[in-house]
Amino acid sequence: MTGKRITLQQAAEIIKDGSSLTFSGFTIWRRPFALVFELIRQGRKGLHLIEVNGGPQTEFLVGAGCVDIWESCWVGHELYGKYGANLSRKVGNKEIIVEDYSHAEMLFRFAAAASGAPYAATQTSLGTDLHNPEYDMLGRAGLRDGKRIPKHKYIFTEDPFYGAGEQVLVPAAKVDVAVMCVQQVGEEGTVRVNGQFYSDPEVARAADITIVMAEEIVPEEYLRRESDRNTIASFEVDYILECPFGAHPTGMFGRYDVDGAFLKDFYGRTRTQEGFDDFAKEWIHGQDHHSYLEKLGWPRMLNLKANTALNYSTGVKRGQ
Amino acid sequence: MESNYATPEEYGLPDLLCCAASREVKDNEIVFAGTGLPMVAIMLAQKTHAPNLKLIFEAGTLDGRPPQIPTSVGDARCEMGASRSSGLNDAFSVAQRGYVDLGFLGGAEVDEYGNVNTTCIGNYLDPELRLTGSGGNPDINSFARRTVFIMVHEKRRFTDQVSYITSPGWRVKKWPEGSFVHRKELYGSAYRGGPSAVISTAGVFRFDDETGRIYLDTCHRGNSPEQIREMCQFDLDISRVSGETLPPTREELHFIHSVLDPEQIFIPKVKHKG
Repeated sequence: MTGKRITLQQAAEIIKDGSSLTFSGFTIWRRPFALVFELIRQGRKGLHLIEVNGGPQTEFLVGAGCVDIWESCWVGHELYGKYGANLSRKVGNKEIIVEDYSHAEMLFRFAAAASGAPYAATQTSLGTDLHNPEYDMLGRAGLRDGKRIPKHKYIFTEDPFYGAGEQVLVPAAKVDVAVMCVQQVGEEGTVRVNGQFYSDPEVARAADITIVMAEEIVPEEYLRRESDRNTIASFEVDYILECPFGAHPTGMFGRYDVDGAFLKDFYGRTRTQEGFDDFAKEWIHGQDHHSYLEKLGWPRMLNLKANTALNYSTGVKRGQ
Repeated sequence: MESNYATPEEYGLPDLLCCAASREVKDNEIVFAGTGLPMVAIMLAQKTHAPNLKLIFEAGTLDGRPPQIPTSVGDARCEMGASRSSGLNDAFSVAQRGYVDLGFLGGAEVDEYGNVNTTCIGNYLDPELRLTGSGGNPDINSFARRTVFIMVHEKRRFTDQVSYITSPGWRVKKWPEGSFVHRKELYGSAYRGGPSAVISTAGVFRFDDETGRIYLDTCHRGNSPEQIREMCQFDLDISRVSGETLPPTREELHFIHSVLDPEQIFIPKVKHKG
């Protein structure tokens, strides 16, 4: 045993006011919701979210007033809510700084950070307002200190090696903490993700502190029997915790589907701050993970439960 | 053959859009699939005229053949049957490397050069409405040889000037000054193509090879070229209209409703009126 095991409360306490933070998953899949709810309960402030792509987790943290800066490319609930109404409201009220990059740029920024490189070169999004120098929002706010926040949003340069023309250099994404939500983690930190692993390997390696929240903690020896199936190496992970159904209302390959009804309800009810506060009072404040699951109830969770042969739920109603 | 086309009572507008989109796909192409109607369209092409097309899902599935339609590209339904399931680094590297022939995208606004906005309405620094943001829209549009946009047709959406260029069209901004140049000039050796069609709820639009300006190609049933021109803020070229958008065939409708989307997640079944 290496003593990496912590509780949900302790995991949230590692993330301080003003920390930069990122997550595993993709839009409405494998987001570390139990910890997102705990951060809201603990009243975290001033977070700088740097995400390959956003999703419901962004919307909850932003709606709760935990976030000062959001650096990413997209936020919404896919089929269950067409845009991020909480982020949109806070942008309108100038209560949050949004720094826009493209999706590939965000991925390449994390890949650069994960390999210890200061930046990545790419040819995406040339000619768009993503590269408009007037729209450098962290620069406008005077926050580009060249330490954790890069001196420039972009640099344009000519390819010096093959003469391939104009390239965009995007800065490595430096983040304090990554919180991963996965199917299995070993006692020493080895992670096995089933299904698409999205940008999890890059995100886990890029962060200074990596916390893994898993459906189950399993013996390391079990994962090491077939090490080629593992996704993240033990020493890249600093803390682990077991938290079944911890991604709800987002989904987890092989375990449970997205709770579309929950997301729809959230999207519909949180257009206003009063609506958000009301939703948070109902589902977050005064709860812990077990009472949250109890409130959801067995029938709802059984319906979301994935068929073990297909890896998705056959019971969940998806269409009209 | 002609009798195989469905009659107007047998299909709805989503069916027509889906089939129009499907017909943009050629066999053997590598297609980047977004969520929603485009995914149904591509899988429809795979069932009909393009059995050898290869699907890429942005979240990390290469050459996917999902037995049940995914509701998003991160869906657990993407993996089964795929050549490889991994992550975004693979999907975007493959795209930047130049493997992708065609991508389907959406947008809130489009201008006459195919610049598309999915970021905000109004001044970016003081927006009337913040939207989802770019997602992979500019990436797929930068990397693929052709892109097809599927959009709701409203006059405010077919605009003189988009609020924010999220995704690059045929005349784009050269920074730092922001002057408009032809896409080819800016992309240099990374140039592969650009927007090839817009399928709106009113018609199908294409772009002039030389100037990159949009023109009307076909009108959906019930819309005249003049009416569609009225539904654009810019002066739409209607001199090259080739006719009416072809209706779905009965075979296509069968695949859409009985095989691909029987749950009516993306494409509702038309209700027969007694």
